[in-house]
Amino acid sequence: MIHLQGVSVVYPDGTTALDKVDLSIERGEFVFITGPSGSGKTTLLQLIYREMVPTEGKVLVDGQDVAKLPAWRVPLLRRKVGVVFQDFRLLPNQTVWENVRFALDVVGASRREKHRKVPIALELVGLADKANSYPDNLSGGEKQRVCIARALVNSPMALLADEPTGNLDPEISLELTELLANIAETGTTVVMATHDKMIVDKMQRRVVTLLHGAVVRDAKEGGGYHDRA
Amino acid sequence: MPRRVGGTTIELDTVEFLLQQGWQSLKRNGLMALAAICNIAVAFAVLSAFVLLAWNLEHMARKQTESAVITVELTSDAIPADVEAAINRDLRVKRTEFLSRDEALNRLAERMGYDKEALKLVGNPLPDMFIVWPNNPDDIPALAEDIKKIKGVSKDKDGVRYGGQVTKKLLVVARGVKIAAAVLTILLGSATLLIVGATIGLTIYARRREIRIMQLVGATNWFIRVPFLIEGMLQGMAGAALAAVLVLVGYYHVCRYTAENLAFIDFVYSPEMVALFAAGTILAGIVFGAIGAMLAVRRYLKIV
Repeated sequence: MIHLQGVSVVYPDGTTALDKVDLSIERGEFVFITGPSGSGKTTLLQLIYREMVPTEGKVLVDGQDVAKLPAWRVPLLRRKVGVVFQDFRLLPNQTVWENVRFALDVVGASRREKHRKVPIALELVGLADKANSYPDNLSGGEKQRVCIARALVNSPMALLADEPTGNLDPEISLELTELLANIAETGTTVVMATHDKMIVDKMQRRVVTLLHGAVVRDAKEGGGYHDRA
Repeated sequence: MPRRVGGTTIELDTVEFLLQQGWQSLKRNGLMALAAICNIAVAFAVLSAFVLLAWNLEHMARKQTESAVITVELTSDAIPADVEAAINRDLRVKRTEFLSRDEALNRLAERMGYDKEALKLVGNPLPDMFIVWPNNPDDIPALAEDIKKIKGVSKDKDGVRYGGQVTKKLLVVARGVKIAAAVLTILLGSATLLIVGATIGLTIYARRREIRIMQLVGATNWFIRVPFLIEGMLQGMAGAALAAVLVLVGYYHVCRYTAENLAFIDFVYSPEMVALFAAGTILAGIVFGAIGAMLAVRRYLKIV
């Protein structure tokens, strides 16, 4: 589903963000990308949703070399790859329902489709009863669930989560990660960048550890934050 | 019924969504949009007033042109057919009309209200003559000089005469006004583009969060751009409509005043002209608004 082959990213100032990364993630997998700040976690995710292109190597998503996608096809890639951020990125003047529907609005979905898909997405993240609330009236965990619902409403093949629990307390963080793991069970590949040791240790899923842009560990059979490969 | 646009199926809901977004954008930056509309109105008012002026000068010049002819008197021994052939050989000549001295006298009598028979008694002082219509009124002076040289044409001071001086001046003024209008179109047009562009730039800045989300959830570029284009077009349309109303009201009063006090000035004024002027101005406003918005979107969306 997602394959990185010899991927390097070097910024114009000479900083190496990723260094010859090889990584394969299959459909329906749940993968943690861990590592200290600045290790290249966010860059790796950005390559997958074509926010940036590699200096070297190939990034294949669903068989397509995303770096070679013409600009007009990037939106089509992003409909296949949902993204969730630490800072939520919700529209404060729109209700939960409207925030989720927004993802369907912009892809030209029909009214019927919106009425069918939004409740399913909200149900999936456990926010069906908050449909008419505004983001400011929600807790951090609930806000992040809205983001997940928005990312899922277009039925993406993969869901990328960049430090989604960064602003949440441990209990809520675990709940949210379990929700993402459940989503992976339905066949959606989930890649979650985090440096939350507690969650990684508790979930015992595949862990890819980055250090200075290089993959230093890939615990395919699952493991904790600091386990040795 | 869904339609295919840019590889995406477009529902009527989507069109509604885009129009709504454009309108909301305009409302969100209400004061700024109002300032832009007023600026566009001023620019378009000046511009359209110049266009009206050029239009009227053209109209007046055209009317003068229609009556711009060269009168060529012949000598008593001239053979009219030879002179006519010589005149018609010149490519600048559109047509000629022969006026015998008797006919010329009759026309003079008619114009002055004299009795023709009585006038004949005193003798006919008029020579045979040709009336020459040029293809281009600009050529009249040079053409008159050349006609003077033809054998059989009177060499008197007024042997070859024309009343085209006014036409010539009018055409010079009309050309000047047209050039000024073209220069103004460039200047004020650029100003309009900048004004619309700056306003749209602010809207883009205000909506950067929304745009960023749109980009992340897979909105196509045109989908993100259309609301801004609509906003620019609405601004241009509103500004130009305001300008058209202001200029037409002013023009109506000028026309009414001149009709009552300066009847010799013939302004163009008809329902068709008003409709054409208003439609043209508004259309230009929409086009300028769209171009301004397009430029802003290309420039600012990259840095969202």
